[in-house]
Order: sequence, then C-alpha cells, then structure tokens
Amino acid sequence: MRNPLIKRIPKELASDWHKYLVIILFMVGMIGVISGMYVGRESMVSAINAGKTELNLEDGCFELSHRATPELLENISSGKKADVRQYFIDKGFEEADKEVADAVEKELNEQVKKAIEDGVRAQCTAMGITDEDVISGYIDVAMEENFDTALEEARKSDEFKEAVDEAYSEAHDAVIEAVDEEWNDISEEYKLNDDNFRPVTVTIYEHFYRNESEDNNNDGVEDATVRIFKSDSEIDLASFVEGRAPESKNEIAIDRNHADTVGVKIGDKITVGGKEYEVVGLLSYVNYLTMHESNTDLMFDAFGFDVAMLTPEAFNELTSRLHYNYSFLYDVKPDGKVAQADYSENFLKALITQTLVDDNEIKDYLPTYLSQARNFAPSDIEGDSVGTAIFCYILIAVIAFIFAITISNTIDKEASVIGTLRASGYSKGELIVHYMSMPVIVTLAGAAIGNALGYTVFRDMAVKLYFNTYSLPLPEVVWSPSALVKTTVIPLLLMFFINLFVIVKKLQLSPLKFLRHDLTKSRRTKARRIPAWSFLSRFRLRVLFQNMPNYAVLIFGVILSELMLCFGFGIVDSLENYGNRAPEMIFAEYQYMLMGYKDEDGNVIVTDEKSAERFSCTNLLYPKEKTSMREGMGSGGDESVTIYGISDGSAYVDLAPDIPEGHVYISSAFGNKFYIKNGDVITLHEEYENKSYEFTVDGIVDYEGGIAVFMDNESFNRTFDKKDDEFSGYFSRNEITDIDEQDIATVITAEDISKVTTQLMHSVGEFMNIFKYAMIVLAAALIYLLAKIIIERNEHSISMVKILGFKNGEIGSLYIVPTAIVVTFFTVISLGIGYFMMIWIFHEFLMQMDGYFAFYMRPVSMVLSVVYLLLGYAFVSVIDFIRIKKIPMDVALKNAD
Amino acid sequence: MEENFLEIKDLKKSFGTGEAKQDVLRGMNFTVKKGEFCVLLGPSGSGKSTLLNIIGGIDTPDSGFVSIRGDKLEDMDEKQLTIYRRKHLGYVFQMYNLIPNLNVKENIEVGAYLSDKPLDVEEVITTLGLQDHKYKYPNQLSGGQQQRVSIGRAVVKNPDILMCDEPTGALDYKTSKEILSLIEDCNSKYGSTIIMVTHNEAIKYMADHVIKLRDGVVRHNDINDKKIPASELEW
Repeated sequence: MRNPLIKRIPKELASDWHKYLVIILFMVGMIGVISGMYVGRESMVSAINAGKTELNLEDGCFELSHRATPELLENISSGKKADVRQYFIDKGFEEADKEVADAVEKELNEQVKKAIEDGVRAQCTAMGITDEDVISGYIDVAMEENFDTALEEARKSDEFKEAVDEAYSEAHDAVIEAVDEEWNDISEEYKLNDDNFRPVTVTIYEHFYRNESEDNNNDGVEDATVRIFKSDSEIDLASFVEGRAPESKNEIAIDRNHADTVGVKIGDKITVGGKEYEVVGLLSYVNYLTMHESNTDLMFDAFGFDVAMLTPEAFNELTSRLHYNYSFLYDVKPDGKVAQADYSENFLKALITQTLVDDNEIKDYLPTYLSQARNFAPSDIEGDSVGTAIFCYILIAVIAFIFAITISNTIDKEASVIGTLRASGYSKGELIVHYMSMPVIVTLAGAAIGNALGYTVFRDMAVKLYFNTYSLPLPEVVWSPSALVKTTVIPLLLMFFINLFVIVKKLQLSPLKFLRHDLTKSRRTKARRIPAWSFLSRFRLRVLFQNMPNYAVLIFGVILSELMLCFGFGIVDSLENYGNRAPEMIFAEYQYMLMGYKDEDGNVIVTDEKSAERFSCTNLLYPKEKTSMREGMGSGGDESVTIYGISDGSAYVDLAPDIPEGHVYISSAFGNKFYIKNGDVITLHEEYENKSYEFTVDGIVDYEGGIAVFMDNESFNRTFDKKDDEFSGYFSRNEITDIDEQDIATVITAEDISKVTTQLMHSVGEFMNIFKYAMIVLAAALIYLLAKIIIERNEHSISMVKILGFKNGEIGSLYIVPTAIVVTFFTVISLGIGYFMMIWIFHEFLMQMDGYFAFYMRPVSMVLSVVYLLLGYAFVSVIDFIRIKKIPMDVALKNAD
Repeated sequence: MEENFLEIKDLKKSFGTGEAKQDVLRGMNFTVKKGEFCVLLGPSGSGKSTLLNIIGGIDTPDSGFVSIRGDKLEDMDEKQLTIYRRKHLGYVFQMYNLIPNLNVKENIEVGAYLSDKPLDVEEVITTLGLQDHKYKYPNQLSGGQQQRVSIGRAVVKNPDILMCDEPTGALDYKTSKEILSLIEDCNSKYGSTIIMVTHNEAIKYMADHVIKLRDGVVRHNDINDKKIPASELEW
C-alpha cells in the first residue's frame, strides 16, 4: 500500500499555491539563469572550438614588406633556418671580388701604360729626340700598337697572379671578419644559435588584407577602420550569422558585432575606401572574435574597428596599401601551451633567417595562441559563470531556509497529528520523508522547468549577452553534464540537507511532547521584563520577541536583498566611475610604445619633443592563490604585471631617488588587489621561462590604471639583461610627430582607457540595469515569503485578538508595524553591510581577472537601493494586511485543544 | 482468554524535581487478559493518562515495567517501540487529531498503511456509519463524526490493543454513547483488547475489567461479570 500521507502533498500545494508559486518561480529563475549561463557558455565555447578546424583557424601569421617569392615560401615552410652567415659572406665576397677586380684592372692599366711610355721615352733619349710633342706622338702610336698585347702579357705574368691572389685573399678575410662580428650580434639578439632548435614544418597560405576607412552612415566622415580580406581565402574563414558572402564587386560582408554596435543591417549601404557597397552578410571571422585592431590594443573596439570580406575583384580595385600577410598551419599540431610557445619560437627563427636571406623583411608576426582577437572572448566566457553560480546558490540556500522555517511552522501546527501518528506507529523516518518531500518536489520541479528554460530562453539570453560583446559564431545547443550537476544536483543537495537538518532536529521530540504541544527542547526561559510603554507598544515588542528566529531569517533576507541591490547599482556606478577617472589613470597624455628602441637603420629612436621621457616596460606574472572561485579560468592563472623602468627624476611617475637594486614601487591597484604593503617582498616570474625575480616594495604609486611595478630605468636594464641605452617607449605631454609611425607599436591616451569602459558599458550596462530591477522583484519576493511566515505563525493569536474585538487596523499595527520597523532598520544597516561585502566580493571576483578597479557606489544609488527595497516591502505589507483581514475567527476556536 | 496478556508491575513515575516533584504513579500493579475491555477509571491527576502513555510506549516509567505477552517494553529501543506501536497498538484520543487536508477515507488509510493485516477500509467506514461522509474533510464533520474517523484510523490496523484516552471527553451524551458502542463492537467483532481511560464512572458498566486509580495507585481492581451494552448506559 502506498503511504496515504503522499496524498497530502498535492493538496498542500493547491492550498498554499501562491507561496509555492513564488518559491517555484524563484527556483526556476535561479536555476534557469545558472543553467542558461552554463549551457550558453558551453555552446559558445564549443562553437568557438569547432571553428578551429571547420573554419581552418591559422596557427599564426606574419606580414612581409613585399610579396614573397615561391622559393622563400618553400624555404619558410621547411621550418629550417637559413645559413645567414654564409649568405652574408657570399654577398660580401661578391661585393669584395668586384671591388678587387676593378682595383686590379685599374692598377694593371696604369702599370702597362707606364711601361710603354717609359720604353718610348728611353728609345727617344737614345735617339736624341727631345721635343716633347714628338715624344707624345711616339707614345700614342706605341700605345695603340702595343697596349693590348702588353696588357695580355702582364696578366700572364706570375708576379701579377700572385698579387691578385693576395688582394682577393685579404678582401675575403676582411669580409669574413666583418660578417662574423655582425652575425654574433644578430644571432645573440634572436637566439639563432640555439641548440634546442627543431625545424617546425608549416603550410603557408596567402592571406593579404587592406585597411580601409569605413563610413557606415555615408556622411563623408570616417567612422571606423575596416580590415578587408578576400572572399576566396582558404584560411581563417568566416561563419555567416546572417546573410551570405559577397558575390559581386559592389557587395560586402562585415563583422556582425561591429554591425550591431554601429547599427548597420543587411541591405544597408556603407562606404569603404571611397566606394559604396551593399552589406549582404554579417559574419564572424574565426580569428577575430573580438575587434582588436592591433594585438597590443588595451581593449577591443567594436565601434572603431571592423573586419570585412570583398570579392577578389573588388579587393583588387581598392587602392590602400596591400598588407602581405601570410597565415600558416603547423603540419604537426603542438600539444599544450608550452609546446605552442616552443613551436612558435622555432618557427620564428626559420622565418627571420629565411626572410633575411631572401632580401625580404618581416613587418609583423603573431602566433595565434597570443592573439587577443582570438583568445580574449573564450577566456572571458569561461570565467564568467562561476560568480553567478555562487550567487544563485546563496539564494537557493535562503529559499531552503524559508522552506525549512515554513515546514517547521507546519510541524508546530500539526504537533498533535504528528504525536498521534507517532503514537500509532509511524516512524520518525517516515515523517521525515513526508515533510522532506515537499521541498524536494518543489526543487525538482524548479530544476526541471529551470533547466528547460536554461536550454532555451536563458541560454539565448546568455548567448545574446556574449553576442553583445563579442563577434561569435552562431552556437548549437550543447548538452552539458556539468550544467546538470550545477543546476540540479547542487540546488537539490542544498535544499535537501538544509531541510533535513531542520526537520530532523524538529522531529527529535518524543510523541508525547508532540501530543502535548510541548515543542521546546529546553524549559521556557524566564519571561522578559519590558519597559512600561503603552499597551500596544508592549504588545508589539512581545510580537517581536516571540518571532525572533523568523526575524533573524528576515534580516538575513534583507541583507541579501540589499547586497543584490548594491551589486546591481554598484557595477554600473563602478564602470562609470572608472570611465570618468580614466584621464587620471594614465601617466602621461601620450604614452608611446615603440617596436624597438632602434629604427631600421640601427639608430636609437629620438625625438625633439621637450616633454618626452624614456621608459622601459616588460611583462611578468604574479602568482595568484588558487581558490574554488577561480576554477576554469581562461586567463591561465597568474596575474599579468607590467614592469616599468622609469627615468631618473621622472616628470610622470613619482619615485624616490636612488632606489636600491631589487627595490621597487608598485601601483596602488597592485597593492589594493593583493594587499601588498611597503616592505613586502614580491616574487614575479616569466610566463614561459623558468625564471623569477624577487623585489622589495619600497613605496606605492597612486595609479589605478593597472597592475604595475616601477623601478628606475638602469635597474630595469640590469635586471632584465637589456643594453644600457635600451628603452621601450616615451611618455609625453604633447603628441610626438617626429618618430616614424613604422617604429611606433601603439599609443595610449586617456581615450584608450575610456574606450575600455565605453566598450564594457555597451557589453554589460544594459544587462546590469535589467538585473537591478530583477533584484528589486527578487527582494520583494523574499520579504513576501518571510513576512508570510510571521503572519502564519501568528494566525492563531490574530484570530484570537479578532475574537476579543480588535479591529483589523489595530491588528495590522500590532503585527505589521514590528516587521516594518525591523525591515526599515535593517535595510539601512544592510546597505552598509551590502556595500562593504560588495567591496570584498568585487575584490574576490577581480582576483579571477587580470587588472583591477575598485568598487564604487554613488550616494544617490545608496539612497535608491534603500528606497527601492522599502517600496518592495510596502507592497508586501499591503498583501500582509489583506492576509490579516482574511484570517477567520474560528481558527482560534477550532484549535482550542 | 490469554491470562497475562498485559502485565503492569511496580510501575512508578514522577514529574519535576526537588520540592516541585510530583509522584504520578506510585507502584502500580495489575494484569489484563487478551480481548478484555478494560477501563481505567479515576479523577484528574490520578495518573491514568500517564499510565496509558507508558503502556503505549510513548512514555517511560521511572521504575517497574510493562510487558506484553512477556516482552518488556523497557528492553525495547526506540525502533522496536515504534514497531511495537505499529504492529500492536491503536490510539484514540480525546481530541481527534485528524490530518486536516486528508478526507475521511484517506485518514483511515493512514492507519491501514501501518498494518500487515489491516481490515477492509470500506468495511470499517460502513461499520462506523461514515459512508456518506467518506470524501469529506475533517473540518466538514461534527465532533462525533471526527471521533468516529479517529476510531476508524485506530481500528483499521486490526490492533491487538486499542488505547482510548478519554474518547468521549469532548462529546455530548448521545454521541458519546454512539462512540462507546463502536468501541464495544470493535472489541466483540475484532477481538481487540481495549484499554480505555476515562473519568466517567458510568462507563465501567460496559467493561470486563475495571481498575480504579487514585493518587497514583490502584484502589480497586474488579472484574465485572454483569456488563451491560453501551447503549444502555446512563449518566
């Protein structure tokens, strides 16, 4: 026979449907969001990964100054290093030989001429001819008759041969000496004599592009830079999110994210390089998931940069400079990050040497594993969901507590029934199972509906959120076992154990105690003495004392709600604040990063700009402690730290003079993020080399713009084995105009920093605003459930005071006012708690990320977060009042046992 | 009739400590035969409910023992006590303690579920005269009807012992007699041993065995040879 108690469950659900509806909606929302986040993420990551092979993602690319010859491409493909030394020697010999030959010829001519002239003069003297004109005449004749024969004879002489051989030998020796000297420098610089070198064979594809101006509203003003590739490319293909590839020469397909960001749709006309094209496709290039124009860009820029596809015919008609870009695929794929670095380094050696011996020049080289445009999005997507999940679990735990309290109240109410059942032979286990079934069923229902929504609506929301930010391919829904665990198993376990704990504790009492309604484990404490206030005030105070445990949960709910509101308001405020403070977050109005400190000709790059000041920089990693929150992060773990070498007496970064070797200053962002103080020792390490550096912190530079370490330039060069005069770039107050653009890697201005926040606001701002209002509804729902418990618990007393003749208004003031006071008081307190907790949570959250910015809330946001919560509560108290009005008087009479 | 079906020996129980200590049972001795209708009679505070609770295994004595068919309750752990109650006992209380959101039939099924040899639920409903009310909820029933359901829930288990704690305490004269008749029927029809706690002297006339309690001890232990049907009781 099935346990007849099971029949109670649907009835219980039906009788209190509004409470369970709120709880199920809550669960569905929470579980749906987590499920959507995970499924969306995994679908996205899977689509991105699938693109690697389906869309033929390059393993890297390089750009040459002019088109490569077939021989050069073949040589690079072989992965072998060219013999650069021999190339220089051969080239030197060729030049030297030519010079020697010219010199010998000239000298021989002179000598033969002189011999003929001397011979004629000797004969004239013997014949007594002294007239110089006559002598000259004889010389001319003799020259004409004998010069060639004499020259030939001279050439044949042993003496001559010996002299010539010597000249060549000397010249060759000089060439070898000069080449070796040069070679040593070069091979050292590029580590070309590395014993560990292994050839990496690759397949090379032409992947030329042009950068053109894009005017997407045809107003004659350039809106963006667009990088154009040909539609017949065999590598780095695009997936079409909408539309198709261009088929005629006036059609273009552009990046989907850029199009969304600037508001271009299929069928629109845009002007590229002065010509008008119809947009026929919105695409996502497999190697441009974010709009990073240059790999050194601080932030991607979907507003100002675009990638596009034209037919080869249309491409060839464009006039801007053709970038001779070549993509390559390793014939054997590297396994792991270290192997990738290793492959890339070896390939680069072949590339450098082969290009050199072919008289070509490398303009750019970028292995895909270092490409920001390719890797920024996946690593960000992977890191996102952890925080959300933890947040949702806290909410589910709160729901579990609400459930537990509700059940605990039900047990109180049903004490005599429980006593009777226990006395009749029902075991404690059977009753525990019975009371546990409701939360478990509700959680299962929530999980089922939540997961269904997670795989549909919420997944699409998550995907849309990522689509807002990144240029991603269209994902297919992926079945995610880990999502199932996180969205069903964990909430179920939370619900199960929290309720089990409370119910088991509650049902510990003997059947007799249940029969007697004696549900306290310990003896009643002495009655509290309360001040001699008015009767109503004392009554309210008694209500407050009587419901302490409920108020404790209510207060927790208020704190949680306020925390959520602080989150909603704070994230937007923090981003805005960061954007507004951007101009302060840069050392100099202009920060020029150079490609190298010397130009093409080997001269140190200088400027006449008076305010310019040299600095050096490099990147190291700071180890981060692994925490559960950091699980699955894409950034690879450790924090990237920029090390600056600052000139003595810098006008831009204020360092104390004469900092001892091994001592550094750190940025305030670094200090704040990792709680580093003056005198602390920090250890930084190289990413791919097994090399680490220890520094003592001497001071903190007020700089919120990045995780940075500062030392003087000389120490920098010594620490990192740089040449004495080496540096990385210039800080300047004014724009520097006398450095060749070819030599500048990137320029950072305040605008670049605000670009970060503009992009972030575009990506998450809208979502956060929706989130904020969702939080208010959530907070109201929480208070609704908790306030309901308080009224339910007092149903009997309320019914009783009704019998005694209290009016509904008076009863409302007795039972709602204490709750109102508690809610108001703790809302204000919770703002403080929420604010400081958010600072901590934000800090912990940023520990997963690279970089740092502080949590900030505007005063008006603080006020609003309190007002919104109280408005939510006001709404709930109206419902409470209606509930009080509905309590019938016979409740008190019926249960008078 | 099985002689020492239920044996109560030197049973003592007190509540509170020190000056507030109150001896509720002060060495109680008697036996009950199988199938006997036994009434425990006494005024308030005589210890009859405490005695019933100890026999029911939901309270424990300070000393002495209760044994059923020679099995001492004090030797049983909580699990065994639960099984004992489940297999052998049916309970009827003064307050009916029905499950509010189960209907009449379902409330009776709650008892049937516990038993290996339950009676037919429909038959019990008919016996109790509840056929017209079987789909009603407790709050749609009168007190007498609720007590019938409560008896049904206890009887349907086909228990060896039916424990009744003031089953008519909250009912009027007429309804009380109906309920007593029902309990009498259970005794005769199903052979259950009945132990009924009451302060109503009149009820002793329908019992086989009357034990009068006062101040925690047995004052009279009488076998009633001239028992009359419940319907003929007057008070």
